[in-house]
Amino acid sequence: MSKSDLTISLNEVLFYFTRAAFGVNVPIGLSEDFAYSNIWIAENGFDPSLCSLEALNNLDNQVSSLAIKFEKLNESGHFFCHEDKFLSALEASVSVVDWIEVSTPTDELKISNVDAPFLVVSAIGANQCSGLTVSWVDQDKSQYQVNFIDNETWEIISSSVNPIELTSGADMLITSFYANDNIPQGSNIKKFNVTKATLKTLNNGVQVRENWQGIYDYFSRCLVKSSAESRASGAGAGMVDTD
Amino acid sequence: MTADTVLLDIDSDFMRPPEQVMRLDRMGSSFPTRLSFMRTLIRRMSKENWKFERTLREVDKDGHGVSVYSASTPSRTYSLIAFTQEIPPEMRTDRVIAEVWDATFNLFDGIPSQEDIDYLANNTPKQEGGRYRPSELVLARANKSLRVFENVIASLAEGAQPDLDLLSSVGYLMRTTAVYGSGKFGCADRAKIADREECRAPFQMELLAVYLIRWFTIDSVEELAKERGGDKAVKLNTNTRQFIGVGNSTGLGMAPFLLKHPALIHNWVVAKETALARVRSIETPIQGTLEVFLKSLLQVSQHVDEWNVDDDVQAHRISCLTDEIQALRIWCEDESNIFRPYPWNGIYHYVEDNFSLECQEMIVSLIIEPHGSLVDDLADTMSTTLIPKFKADMPLTELKAIVKDCYQWATTIDFSLEESQHHFWYYSEDKLEPRFGSKGVDEGVEQEMPLAIGRDVHDLDEMLSETKDEMLIAEFVMLYPQFRHIIRRIQNTFLRPYSEVQDNLLGESMRPLDLLRFKLAFFGASKFDPRSDLWTRISMYQGAPMPEQISEPNHDCWSFPIVGRSQSYPCMNCKCQKAI
Repeated sequence: MSKSDLTISLNEVLFYFTRAAFGVNVPIGLSEDFAYSNIWIAENGFDPSLCSLEALNNLDNQVSSLAIKFEKLNESGHFFCHEDKFLSALEASVSVVDWIEVSTPTDELKISNVDAPFLVVSAIGANQCSGLTVSWVDQDKSQYQVNFIDNETWEIISSSVNPIELTSGADMLITSFYANDNIPQGSNIKKFNVTKATLKTLNNGVQVRENWQGIYDYFSRCLVKSSAESRASGAGAGMVDTD
Repeated sequence: MTADTVLLDIDSDFMRPPEQVMRLDRMGSSFPTRLSFMRTLIRRMSKENWKFERTLREVDKDGHGVSVYSASTPSRTYSLIAFTQEIPPEMRTDRVIAEVWDATFNLFDGIPSQEDIDYLANNTPKQEGGRYRPSELVLARANKSLRVFENVIASLAEGAQPDLDLLSSVGYLMRTTAVYGSGKFGCADRAKIADREECRAPFQMELLAVYLIRWFTIDSVEELAKERGGDKAVKLNTNTRQFIGVGNSTGLGMAPFLLKHPALIHNWVVAKETALARVRSIETPIQGTLEVFLKSLLQVSQHVDEWNVDDDVQAHRISCLTDEIQALRIWCEDESNIFRPYPWNGIYHYVEDNFSLECQEMIVSLIIEPHGSLVDDLADTMSTTLIPKFKADMPLTELKAIVKDCYQWATTIDFSLEESQHHFWYYSEDKLEPRFGSKGVDEGVEQEMPLAIGRDVHDLDEMLSETKDEMLIAEFVMLYPQFRHIIRRIQNTFLRPYSEVQDNLLGESMRPLDLLRFKLAFFGASKFDPRSDLWTRISMYQGAPMPEQISEPNHDCWSFPIVGRSQSYPCMNCKCQKAI
């Protein structure tokens, strides 16, 4: 199972990604949300390991942090990490979704210095939040805008042809979709229908490539080394069963 | 009927409360009912007149090779692909860590091409070591019961029927040691098939695979006997064929599932408890039902006589059950005890007041049994598509009140005591085998599975008591992200009161076996045969109609079967009631 270039199921995304996050000491509740975000990524035809491995690496290397603060600025809110690190997308994504639930639709939200913006996008998608625009400029100065048009449809508008999963280190802005008319210049537009994309994924499985091995390695940290004693007694049945 | 309709019955006076039902000792005394998932599947097969066919058998004289058995519903076909091989006896283990098996299987979504069979021939015998595709719905394996398998072949080859005592003591020819579905190892996700009519009830494809495996085992011994005995060989007689089930060996893997799907468990339990409440609330019994119940007591006595186990605790419970059924029969002979208003409620109360949990749960099953017309609709309410959501806008005061009102069973456990946190659950690196460890003895506490529901609620309650009421939950989890998991669980389960096991799952006296039996009974398993506190063998589909019998009028008359005979009385639920 640990090899690259596999086709996995959505249930395996849930199983392995939850535990991969837990493997870098993310609390289990956040780990579950992280896995559900990755299911949404996979349902829409992306390799979930592509952006998620970087986010887990950042936490493991202490380049990012789960520490988060919130401040209210007039009509907008602001999430940031008060440590001198990236704000981990694993924490940013759940906090954003929670904020969307408790805020009014006209409010704006800024999130500073997020390490993996597409994970924040995927959390919004996984929680079926619609009528929102998420925009950011990444470290390569590429502009991205994701519009959640309704529960079925979303789109990516970007100034770059680079995979959106790989964008990193960005200040993000979340606004009402209808209030936003700031389209990136030289845009590439890609539209998605969640139902159709999910159906395709259910019939074909989820392709994971070279980053999968890293996800599996973090997952493996949740496994307990087997000893002669635990092998003999931990599962309750004998080593040979004949009758 | 929708789940909402079921909820209306929860407040019925005849409904047993969650604090009575969701206790480990009672859960560990469960029996299958007519709402169990195997029963539901067989009824559907009959109603829709499913067709069954062996479409391929390419095996050598020892039966090693590949076979395909298909089941066709009105709208599609499912195929069991079976690979068989010779394995050394000492390699035969029921554990997840096994490397080889007598037979390995996939349930294929459709009719497999030769290319599909070739692909699976390179993967299925490796089980967890292979990779599967969305076209595969189930992955499974089974080992022979060597003495029964050989005895049956030898007898049939000689033109004789097998030794019924031996057959009865085991109950099956092969024993499955894992049946995986729902996306395991690359197989199809449940979402791919969830909208299909025949997949709406829980675990229907897994249980279809098991049903076809049972047919495969019976077909195999008959074919091998013919190979060995030629013209002299005979087939199993109808009653013996029907008695033969398929075994299963179940370990800890089932317990985490139960704890990780609380909304689903609520729906299972509330359906069964609603069925019981509906029956108990009948003032004047439906004609013939009491008579059927009294006859079923006789049959169940024989069934229990044939339920032999090595485990001392279970053997004692079976012995008590035998005596209690006899005592109940005597009590029922006094007509004034049962021919009166609300007879089922009277019987239930008499049993609850006088007999063991094992007997109480057996009687629950028996009094529901004659009431198919009253309860079978509940089988449609036992699934869920709920994905638990975190509700950030819930006021903290509301969460505090919910914990106080609904989780007293957890907040009153003293987790400072060593015995209260004796155990932990973990996955071993050994093929991800789930294991149950003891703190201070086994390594791996740091990698504990998040299944300590009671302890987590207890810790949350303590933190909440130190937190001001004005705070929103969204703010609380930013400060204390370690509680996000348990808060989400509480938010999604407090309105589903039968979703939580109301006991300490880490306690020293905790027996995972109780969880296993509870879940297996909902599947429809019988003859629970504990091998330890962590492991049990069971029989599945014992007494169920064979494929060629699925359209017969008595297709639904197979609860608590006895060897060598079909049900000795007509039931109330299918066309055979005309025989009363």
